Amino acid sequence: MPGEIFNPNPTVFRTSGKPSSDQYTTDPNSLWLEEDDGRHNGIVFDDDEVDPIDRDEIFDLIRYIKDPEHPGVNLEELRVVSAPQCRIAGNFVTIEFTPTVPHCGMSTLIGLSIRVRLLRSLPNRFKVDIFVQPGSHQSEHAVNKQLNDKERVAAALENLALVKTLEDCLDTS
Amino acid sequence: MESTERLVRTWMASRRDEEITETVSNINNGSTTLLNVVKVLGEYLTSEEDQLRTSGVEFLSSILSKCFPEKLNRQSVRVLVSFYCSKMEDWDTIIPSLQGLAHLTTLPTCTSDDVPKIIDSIFERVKMKNLVQSVRFHVFTIIHNIVVRHRDVLKSMVSDFVERYVVLVEGEKDPRNLLIAFAIARVIVVEFDVAKSVESIFNITFCYFPITFRPPPNDPYGITTDDLRQALRRVLSATPLFGTLAIPLFLEKLTAGSPVTKRDTLETMAICIPVYGSSIARTNARKLWNALKLEVFQPVDQQTEEQALKTTQDLVKTIYSNSTQADEDIQGLAKDACEECLMILREPEKSQAKHAINVLCAFMSTTPSVSRYTVTQLIPYLMKQFIKPDDASVRPSVLLLVSDVLAAAREAMSHLHESELVEDTQNVGTILTSFKDELTSVIISGLKIPSCRQPAVACLLGLVSISDFLGEEELGFIVHNVNEILSFGDDVDEDDSNVALKLLSTIAVSAPRHIKEQVLPQLFSTLPDYAPSKEAITERVKYWRTLTALTILCRQPELFEILIIRLTAKLDLLCFRQALLSSDEAALEPDAAYAHSILQTIYKVLSAKIDEEHHDVPKYIDILVPRLFNIFVYSTILSTERYVIGIEPRLIITGGQIIALVVQSLPISKKEEYLQTVFSAYFDGNVKQIAAGQQAIPSDYVFCPFDASASSVTKSLVVLLSSATTVLQKEILMPVSDLNVFLNQILDWSMTKADQEHQREGIWKMIASILNKRIEGASSFLSDLLSHFWYTQIANGSAALSTRRQAIRAWGWMTKALLVRSHPSCAQFTDRLFDLFVDEELNWHAAKTFGDIVGVDKVLTKRNYAVIKILHTQRFVNSVLSRLTSGAKTSTNSHEQLAHLVALSSLISQIPRNLYARELPSLIPLLIRGLGLPDYNIRCQVIETLLAVAEEGSSDENVIPEHAPSLVTTMLKNSTVREMPSPNVRITALKYLGVLPKVVRYDILHPLKATVIRELAIALDDPKRLVRKEAVEARTSWFKFHG
Repeated sequence: MPGEIFNPNPTVFRTSGKPSSDQYTTDPNSLWLEEDDGRHNGIVFDDDEVDPIDRDEIFDLIRYIKDPEHPGVNLEELRVVSAPQCRIAGNFVTIEFTPTVPHCGMSTLIGLSIRVRLLRSLPNRFKVDIFVQPGSHQSEHAVNKQLNDKERVAAALENLALVKTLEDCLDTS
Repeated sequence: MESTERLVRTWMASRRDEEITETVSNINNGSTTLLNVVKVLGEYLTSEEDQLRTSGVEFLSSILSKCFPEKLNRQSVRVLVSFYCSKMEDWDTIIPSLQGLAHLTTLPTCTSDDVPKIIDSIFERVKMKNLVQSVRFHVFTIIHNIVVRHRDVLKSMVSDFVERYVVLVEGEKDPRNLLIAFAIARVIVVEFDVAKSVESIFNITFCYFPITFRPPPNDPYGITTDDLRQALRRVLSATPLFGTLAIPLFLEKLTAGSPVTKRDTLETMAICIPVYGSSIARTNARKLWNALKLEVFQPVDQQTEEQALKTTQDLVKTIYSNSTQADEDIQGLAKDACEECLMILREPEKSQAKHAINVLCAFMSTTPSVSRYTVTQLIPYLMKQFIKPDDASVRPSVLLLVSDVLAAAREAMSHLHESELVEDTQNVGTILTSFKDELTSVIISGLKIPSCRQPAVACLLGLVSISDFLGEEELGFIVHNVNEILSFGDDVDEDDSNVALKLLSTIAVSAPRHIKEQVLPQLFSTLPDYAPSKEAITERVKYWRTLTALTILCRQPELFEILIIRLTAKLDLLCFRQALLSSDEAALEPDAAYAHSILQTIYKVLSAKIDEEHHDVPKYIDILVPRLFNIFVYSTILSTERYVIGIEPRLIITGGQIIALVVQSLPISKKEEYLQTVFSAYFDGNVKQIAAGQQAIPSDYVFCPFDASASSVTKSLVVLLSSATTVLQKEILMPVSDLNVFLNQILDWSMTKADQEHQREGIWKMIASILNKRIEGASSFLSDLLSHFWYTQIANGSAALSTRRQAIRAWGWMTKALLVRSHPSCAQFTDRLFDLFVDEELNWHAAKTFGDIVGVDKVLTKRNYAVIKILHTQRFVNSVLSRLTSGAKTSTNSHEQLAHLVALSSLISQIPRNLYARELPSLIPLLIRGLGLPDYNIRCQVIETLLAVAEEGSSDENVIPEHAPSLVTTMLKNSTVREMPSPNVRITALKYLGVLPKVVRYDILHPLKATVIRELAIALDDPKRLVRKEAVEARTSWFKFHG
């Protein structure tokens, strides 16, 4: 654990989570309710339909990342990230995040964990930009620069101790 | 005498156990005496040669430990004790001497007179450091025996004994010895006057805390860390005298330790502090609280946090155990800690608030005075927070905290015994009652604020579940307010209504009246009379949600009755909708689907009622079942003129399920009666006996579904007959003159006259059920099947292919009926299926039947009174597995080989893993081959089987690694949309890839890691979201995979 705690008592917000799966597991587009006849047939897919990667899917990837300072709380609960702060246009993804306090020394680490998560979970065709919400951090510029510089990110990922911390944050299971 | 001598000499040379056994039996049967043995041994016992002396004493000790206790009189014991004590001086005989004493001290003839001698010689002559574990074990055993049997002697030599004992045992490390040492130490501390030697005993026991012992794998002694922990805790908590010494040590271990040590320390403290007593607890309260606070507010993990809270409770209980203070002057720790936590609660939305409320909730389950104090401080404080006008945004957080408090209050109340409730007029409940009105109004006002809704409902759930807390009227008031959330305004989201439903269903159990009067009318009024159009998705979702709500709420008899009345009325209306412009099937499909969901609702509630063992189900045979029959029968009549939805098979099938549940619940005599009626309706046309309702069936109507001339829609109604007959006990006879003829008739009907799948299926289920229960009466039917049906319908190459395939399905059902009761002819039936494996047209179907006949079904079940032999699947699998494996490997005919493989894959995927675990090494390669089969369903099943193998398999670690590379390649191939069009196969393949790193060692998978990570990137771009989700999981698990 790092020596200094930047925000010992952050505000925790209630999260809505995903819509809980309804008792009736039927797709609203279907007229008929599915019968639970105990047989497992898997999900029935419409083969031609394509679900494009959208904002919510990207948000789902990063919302459960743990806060490096408070391992019991995730980024969504602290409102470090939120769905409207994720944007997707074509092959460009922009993520904005809000540190809980302006002097938060963990911002780069949080940004880096978002970066790594997306590197691992999005197809290569996407270009991802990660920014601190404007005005939310005292060294905003430096953090942004660090997070969007390929070389610097790669260098950071050479540091085994750092990677270990990152893995802990990303371990959302 | 001579034989004894001979035995002794032989033993000296051979040192075999046989001689000892023989000598012992000689002594025990009186043919020689112990004295003789000693005489013979004399020369060895006193021999000059060290080796011989050792052996002599060893022989004696071995004999003693085995011969009957009554062979050793008082005299001989005394002599032996002095002998052994003197032999302890001699280094060469000390080991066997201790062994002998270890046995002697268990004998009743060893008296307190011998004790000082034994103890003294041990203390003087035994140097523990020089002895190996097994010998030290004897020493501990001797002392333990004496402590158990002659405590008083030891007490008289107390100070002497304790000090010397401490010196003796210092530095012991072996877990086996420690277990005894801890037991001895506890007795010493509890029973002896140890005031003077507390510190030395403290030193020889607390030095083991915390226990860090890890048993080696396959430890033959089976001593676990927990055994040692418990034994040590019993010592540490043996006397209050340890208190002042122990607490600093505990605190030190708590701050410095690993999570495991922390938990151990916390648990030990929870046990010790009550023993150490309130004054020690009070003096150290501050220090202890500071340490515990750290564990609560900055927990390493949840378990530790919970334990820290528990320890805090015990600390508080100890401090205030006999306090009679009035509430106002609670002083000390509870007050300080309470104030500290309330301070933190000033910011209820922050992360620390959660921990603070946990502490306060923990306080509520301590002593009555502290609980009272906490509640009186906390509740007004939280209410003030809620009402405070300046910061409305914290209200949801405040209500969440209140719901925690209420849950804790219920917890605290449930621990109070009834007597306490009566005596203690000032318990948590009564205190809470004094705040009842304010609390309720705060919570209800929370209900009106959208962001506060869920926390407010959680609070109400807390209030409702505190028994006897709320009165009838208050419940009504709550229902009234919550009902508004359910009214599905546009601003109500689904989560809110779900929690509200949970609350209402809780209230429904104790006060159904309110639900009936306030909630149900509103719910029923939102149900439309006719289905919304196909495009009106929101409308449709709305009625689904209403039906879900009804499913959850209407289980109580009173409410269920209303549900049935209202829903059957709806059905009548819906099924016989008048005056439609167009009445073709497509236009009416939404109505049919709506009717189907209504039937599903009835079915679900009924199933839930049966699970909860409600007694009002049988009466619906007169209320519900005739109306259902009426709807379906009348629909068939109407269908000759126009399309009606009541002929839709899905409706009939669900209707059948409902009828089955009701008939199943009837008492046996009623069932027989009902069965007669149903049969007479189906076979003699007396349909009026089973059907009654709104639409009158014309008197000239002839109901004959089994007739060749019957219309297809009428034939479909055999499904209902089948449902009613598959739920009967085996004692109930079918009302037919000849069962064999009857079975043959309906089987023939299913093959020749039935024209739809569900009709045949219904008949086969019925045959299977009858065959399973009444096989004794169906022997000629059985032989007909084997000698006639098989050859004309299945093996007959000139019959139509579709007929043959159907016949195989029928065959599968009948085989299953036999299999479930482990009937001998099951083997003949399966043999026939093997015969088909060479048939190009049918091999695939025959093979897949193997999966069907072992799979789970809803007909041949315990609830339906099927005759089920235990281990029937196992027997079947044992009989066919090796045949299938070898066939899949060695068949020369490619069709046959394929069929074996398909049958194997289908079979394996339907049975629990332990049934084929032993065969795994030979099965895995076959299963991997199965992944190449063109049938996606089978592929999916095979991967699921492999998943099951991987997830459970620790004992067969050697199986998967061997095939890891080929598994990885096949799964990767099955995971991309380019190679595998079925999303379900892609999903399972990706799941498997995600599991592999968890079950296979890193060094085996390392060469594949880069490839897998690269290839999985393709699946990340899958067109289906669910596939991508699995791809992300799988890829993450490979990224995390390190050596």
